[in-house]
Amino acid sequence: MNKRFNTFLFAFIGLSCGVIAVLPFVTSSEYTLRVATVIIFWIGMAGCWNITSGYTGYIDFGPVVYFGIGSYATAIAMTKYGISFFPAALLAGLASGLIAFPIGLTTLRLRGAYFAIATFAFAETMKQVVLEFDRTFGVSFFQGSHGITLPIGGHENTFFLYSFGLVTLCIILVQGRIENSKFGYGLKAIHEAEGSAEISGVNTTGVKLQAYMTSAIFLGILGGIQSYWITYITPADVFNVHKTVQMVIMTLLGGMGTFLGPVVGAAFLTLLSEILGTAFVEYYLIMVGAIIIAIILVMPRGIIGTLKEATGIRFF
Amino acid sequence: MAQLECVNIGKNFGALAALEGVSFQLHDQEILGLIGPNGAGKTTLFNCIIGLEKPTRGKVMFNGTNITGLKPHRICRLGLVKTSQIMEPFKALTVGENVLVGALYGGMLPMKKAFAETERILDFVGLTPEKDKLSSAISVPARRRLELARALATGAKVLLLDENMAGLNPHEIDDALRLLGKIRDLGKSLIVVEHIMRAVMGISDRIIVLNYGVKIAEGLPKDIATDNTVIEAYFGDKKSFLGRSERQISHG
Repeated sequence: MNKRFNTFLFAFIGLSCGVIAVLPFVTSSEYTLRVATVIIFWIGMAGCWNITSGYTGYIDFGPVVYFGIGSYATAIAMTKYGISFFPAALLAGLASGLIAFPIGLTTLRLRGAYFAIATFAFAETMKQVVLEFDRTFGVSFFQGSHGITLPIGGHENTFFLYSFGLVTLCIILVQGRIENSKFGYGLKAIHEAEGSAEISGVNTTGVKLQAYMTSAIFLGILGGIQSYWITYITPADVFNVHKTVQMVIMTLLGGMGTFLGPVVGAAFLTLLSEILGTAFVEYYLIMVGAIIIAIILVMPRGIIGTLKEATGIRFF
Repeated sequence: MAQLECVNIGKNFGALAALEGVSFQLHDQEILGLIGPNGAGKTTLFNCIIGLEKPTRGKVMFNGTNITGLKPHRICRLGLVKTSQIMEPFKALTVGENVLVGALYGGMLPMKKAFAETERILDFVGLTPEKDKLSSAISVPARRRLELARALATGAKVLLLDENMAGLNPHEIDDALRLLGKIRDLGKSLIVVEHIMRAVMGISDRIIVLNYGVKIAEGLPKDIATDNTVIEAYFGDKKSFLGRSERQISHG
């Protein structure tokens, strides 16, 4: 099972890598490339949520905070300190990971709804801090609600397709490795019965914190790339709870605790909104909502989760 | 030297004293029975030993080191593990994976060795045929053995079993008792909390009796069975303890 799983995982990653690499050469449509980039971006975002919440069952309702921190870290590093894009994005990941340490250490002691509330509150708090910091302290750092305009690099869509592709493939690989590793068994044990995990030798706080920080680092990098892509960020946008909700829904649709879940969920939901959005401009959100409800009713464990259960095959 | 020694353990929950100065020793390769009426503090004592509760007073010595107040996963890795009265397997994981968690984390084994250890332990407790089944899909006796297997996989020297035979029929109890004997023969020491008197009297080298958080008796099984204080704690009068306990077995 172990071998088959790894073969499947690496085949999937290799194939995805190939598809992303050749995509700009087979299509000249900017629209197609943009949609592909958005899908890959959301696969990465949902994957980050899956690393923490999908495997441990701790419902994080504020992952967007690390996306926002990453966005601002990149923007400030580039505009204030003149650091170039790639090191700035890596710095953003580092900043998010560092902030996740004390936050995770305190919030991961909470369980169930309390953890969700605490993480949600932290995300909203950070949004307010960034919004009001300059006015409160009379400085010019975060630029408040004016937002920050990033330097325009003049890159093609392909540049962002590849950047997001690289990070997202890393996120998928991390999830795949989680599923069949010591770390993964620790996370799954915590999900199933935290008390039993603890008395079986699992350092529950440490394992949860590792997952939480891993998510935060990748979210920070994704935030960094995204802010460079759209070149203009505001607190209301990069700390928007809507992003959190989207990550949650995509993962639930695809299947929590499986590395393919976020891939399927994010691709499905992005394409669905895109197709219905162009065909039924006025009503598409109602239709998307209805379809999400229908899928969750028929497949309560998500598309991949339910498929796994129905087939009894555990290696994908 | 004693494997495990509790010195004057006390635990208060608010105004309630769950344990009041319990002291005892567990020797090498010994099976120690721990009995007492419901609410006597048996599970609380276990939780204080393995770190799920912090004792209000007293200390827990394991192999000569003071382990009082350490986190449960640390104590587990030192070689002290318990099985719970309320079974909590990792339901979405297979039987094999449940045991693997113990070997990986409690035993701190690398992946390959942990897999081999899992196979060995599943074979030892007789769960090899159930290896790939989900742990939520196996019978109660199998789940009880799974708890033991997960505890064994951590490589612990001392096992605390909290009513590991609850819900088993007399035939299954015999199997379970044989298994406990085999575990002791591996060089391990056990403390067994059990309400089934035939089982605990038969397997234990020594017995200690708790009542309202106080150790009221300690000794050989045959002495405990006729101890007046113990009989009073259980039945409130001096009717034959053995006569009543036979009835308990047929009910239980």
